[in-house]
Amino acid sequence: MSAYLGVDIGSRTVKVILLDGEGRILARGLATAGHDGPAVAARLVAKVCAEAGIAASQVGATVATGYGRGRYAAADAESSEITCHARGARYLVPDARTVIDIGGQDSKVIRLDGAGRVLDFVMNDRCAAGTGRFLEVMADAMGLPVSELAALHARAERPASVSSTCTVFAESEVISHLARGVAPADIVAGLHAAIASRVFALAERVGLEPVLTCTGGVARNAGFVSALSSAARMPIVVAEDAQFAGALGAALLALARQVERR
Amino acid sequence: MARNYPRLESGAELTRLVIEHYTQALGTGRSRPVAWVTSGAPVELLRAMDIVAVYPENYAAICASQGAVPLCEAAEALGYSRDLCSYARISLGAAAAPQVAPFAGLGRPDLLIACNNICGTVVKWFQALARQFDVPLFVLDTPFLPDDTIAPHALAYVAGQLEDLIRWLERAAGRRLNRARLDEALALSNEAVALWRDIRHLCQARPSPLSAPDLFVTMAAIVLLRGTPEAIAFYRQLLSEAAQRIREGVSAIDGERFRLVWDNIAIWPRIYHFFSQFARRGACFVADTYTGAWDVEIEPGEPLESLARTYLGIFLNRSLAYRAERLAGLIRDYGCDGFVMHSNRSCKPFSLGQAAARRLVAASANVPGLLFEADMCDTRAYAEEPIANRVQAFLEALEGRRP
Repeated sequence: MSAYLGVDIGSRTVKVILLDGEGRILARGLATAGHDGPAVAARLVAKVCAEAGIAASQVGATVATGYGRGRYAAADAESSEITCHARGARYLVPDARTVIDIGGQDSKVIRLDGAGRVLDFVMNDRCAAGTGRFLEVMADAMGLPVSELAALHARAERPASVSSTCTVFAESEVISHLARGVAPADIVAGLHAAIASRVFALAERVGLEPVLTCTGGVARNAGFVSALSSAARMPIVVAEDAQFAGALGAALLALARQVERR
Repeated sequence: MARNYPRLESGAELTRLVIEHYTQALGTGRSRPVAWVTSGAPVELLRAMDIVAVYPENYAAICASQGAVPLCEAAEALGYSRDLCSYARISLGAAAAPQVAPFAGLGRPDLLIACNNICGTVVKWFQALARQFDVPLFVLDTPFLPDDTIAPHALAYVAGQLEDLIRWLERAAGRRLNRARLDEALALSNEAVALWRDIRHLCQARPSPLSAPDLFVTMAAIVLLRGTPEAIAFYRQLLSEAAQRIREGVSAIDGERFRLVWDNIAIWPRIYHFFSQFARRGACFVADTYTGAWDVEIEPGEPLESLARTYLGIFLNRSLAYRAERLAGLIRDYGCDGFVMHSNRSCKPFSLGQAAARRLVAASANVPGLLFEADMCDTRAYAEEPIANRVQAFLEALEGRRP
């Protein structure tokens, strides 16, 4: 059996997807990128392949994406995250026309046509506000694990206002909210609303068309997704494998390369 | 990064002309007065008066191509904001710290002329220069054209200021304007403009004989030497070189597959580096809104009224709708597959409204457009990885639209 690998070396995490020749997901893997994403990716690929019982010789093609894509030596090709997230999101949510991807250090909005081709896209400008890293910094300032943000958001009564989306200034705002005794749940809801409005403003540049789906690690945060859905006044479909959309798109490109060659 | 563009034969002549121009501008013991002017100033009056025109904007671009962050920092150390136009910061920085500037600075002006048809910044920038060098400044105020028509009162207002400018120049130069020489300068200017237009039109050929970096470099003559016989001689040479390339099938980049339009000022310190990302994938910039801004003929008629009309109607003094339509027109006329907008941190008039223009143009021309942030000179505002990312994604999307 042949298998096809997609490797997404992001700024914060590395994601790997292994597909079979029919495009079915055989295995997936996730690891923290640390300071050497490509090395982490190589180890993760070995682990994922071993778990799926796939030998290196059975891998038909590998496509890399994400910030570390150019330094992943084992890749047959590399592709931008826009192309990969579009492909991956379309696989997960077949009728998606707008994809909002919130990654570790950037956010992107992609508009697709009926056939899944990229019509337009926009990425955040040179600033990590409105990204996963922003939430990590805020969670850290509040002494919380990121995984608890969604649960806290659900308990918010009166979301606090976080006026600045600059990571540094927002952190001081969070600290002063805490000092004034504002409930952490309300601060978290305020943070989510602040990012959502920033991402929504970005999305408006390309226009939001349903069906809207959210990908990337932050899509797992239900509190943020609900804040974004309110800002966009539109339901958001989040697939189980949303965090793997980039790697999945890369794996689909690897499969397509193979099909073309046949 | 290696430049993957065939070198222009005319390049050597251009270098000679630019060096000669700056030698004249900086020459010690000069006999003719030197005026520092903005790019949209009516230079034909200076030609007719035998006054040397020097362009701090062009000088800043030259500085930037050699790395101008120290000059920006010199201006910032004086208190100028990092948000200020980098041409202005480089110019003010070079005036304050000529020892770290190319050619050891731009020397001293005798006169300053700022025309606000390109932006409002030039007024304050030139006022700062006037204070620093203690020389007279003339501000030519050209009202913005929100609906692209020149109202009679606006025309009279600018023509009246041109009369004032002539008297001001006559006092400074100690001689009268010779109207016959003005007519001659206007004719020389128009001839160079017509050649420049013809050269740009040749890029409608497939493959294109020239690309945006070629135009950005060779536009130096239309800026610095407009209204002189040298500009005409140079553009004749360039026109014949481009025509020869078409006859011989020589293209500006190897394997042209995509044709694109560029919007905004070039990124001078990264000019070849930046465009190589496109050239490597067969994407050639065949037209742009920047070098086209000098495609402005002075209409026949009463000279001052014609000059007023021309300098009121320049690209940046017009509505967003006009500029978007001009961009869409280039996409149609040059058969382009997409467009790229440089949101230039320095140039507010060029960049403000680009997000809206991008939507308008993409819809009317039915091609995708990329908008990215950088700066024409200040490399601190050029984020290598995010820009490369956007460029790659844009080119992949273009590829995906291929049938």
